[in-house]
Amino acid sequence: MKRLLALFTLLFWPALSHAATPIFEIEIRGHLFQPEEIRIPENTKVKLIVYNRDSTPEEFESYELNREKVIMGGRKANIFIGPLAPGIYPFFGEFNPKTAQGRVIVE
Amino acid sequence: MLINSVILVLREVLEAAMVISVLLALSMHLRIPLRWLWLALPFTLVFTLLFAGNLDTMTDAFDGAGQEVVSASLQVLVFFCLLAVVFLAQRQRVRASDPVAQLPWIMALAVVCALVREGSEILIYIIGFATSEQHRTAVFAGSAVGAGIGVSLGVLLYAALRALPVNFASNVCYLLLAFIGAGMVMQSTMLLEQVDWLLAGEQLWDSSFLISEHSITGQLLYAVFGYEATPGINQVLLYGASLAAVVMAWWLAGFVGGKADDK
Repeated sequence: MKRLLALFTLLFWPALSHAATPIFEIEIRGHLFQPEEIRIPENTKVKLIVYNRDSTPEEFESYELNREKVIMGGRKANIFIGPLAPGIYPFFGEFNPKTAQGRVIVE
Repeated sequence: MLINSVILVLREVLEAAMVISVLLALSMHLRIPLRWLWLALPFTLVFTLLFAGNLDTMTDAFDGAGQEVVSASLQVLVFFCLLAVVFLAQRQRVRASDPVAQLPWIMALAVVCALVREGSEILIYIIGFATSEQHRTAVFAGSAVGAGIGVSLGVLLYAALRALPVNFASNVCYLLLAFIGAGMVMQSTMLLEQVDWLLAGEQLWDSSFLISEHSITGQLLYAVFGYEATPGINQVLLYGASLAAVVMAWWLAGFVGGKADDK
């Protein structure tokens, strides 16, 4: 019975964890991330919603998080990250890397 | 702005240039006419325009997972094409048989799928800046330089593969295709993790202190081997499995279908 329960938990873990996924929102304005720093709990999967408020496209990119996604002007993108170990994970806008810089702080 | 454009376009072009160079070299070794490449280019152009033009609709599809699902499917398709190319090319070689009719078609499909995503990203980037008078010149010039460097490296790889003795060079081509294909599979798993279609596994190691993905070496290794400094367990397992699958196809090609020996 215990094993069966464990199997069930394993199978439905994605569905269960999905319900509790914390959401963090970031905006891109004038080729800047706002806020440019977000703090998320360790070992937790979170959902980032990135709104591109500029009229030009941007690409959310992070080598450290292994994430990349093109976000057209005026649109939004969902990006799941984690579970992660504590640390600093930089991200940037690949189309405007001089200004669009930010980081995820896992603690 | 200039240097940013060079780097961005170079990154995208490099991966595509590697695929095309290796397939071209293999095609020459097998004496397959290069028609397939001319066939692939107009299709690439059309699909690139479609991809870039519909990216926002695509992004919102599948509850926000559309962009990743389409890109990941393309990458997995490239992997299966490369797997088939290795198998069919090697079979043609060991049997010294007539050219396999499907081979050029599969090469063309691989090139189209490999180029569409990279191509549309460049297109979106350039169009995004086309209206900005301040940055336009730098972006255009930088993109041209980046594309130039990428294509040159592709030509260099092609020339190197052509300079080697044919038998040895074909094996090198298979090996490169195996690495490129495995890299594509690995990329696709990251995209699926990004939209929560795959559970993200634990990070296995961090080799960024050795070779950073930001560095030129890191970028080159990424283009050929799909290098990642901080891969997760899913990536590493699938990378290994994909490599093994290509090597298996390579090895099996000598046996499957019989009559390997009495050519």
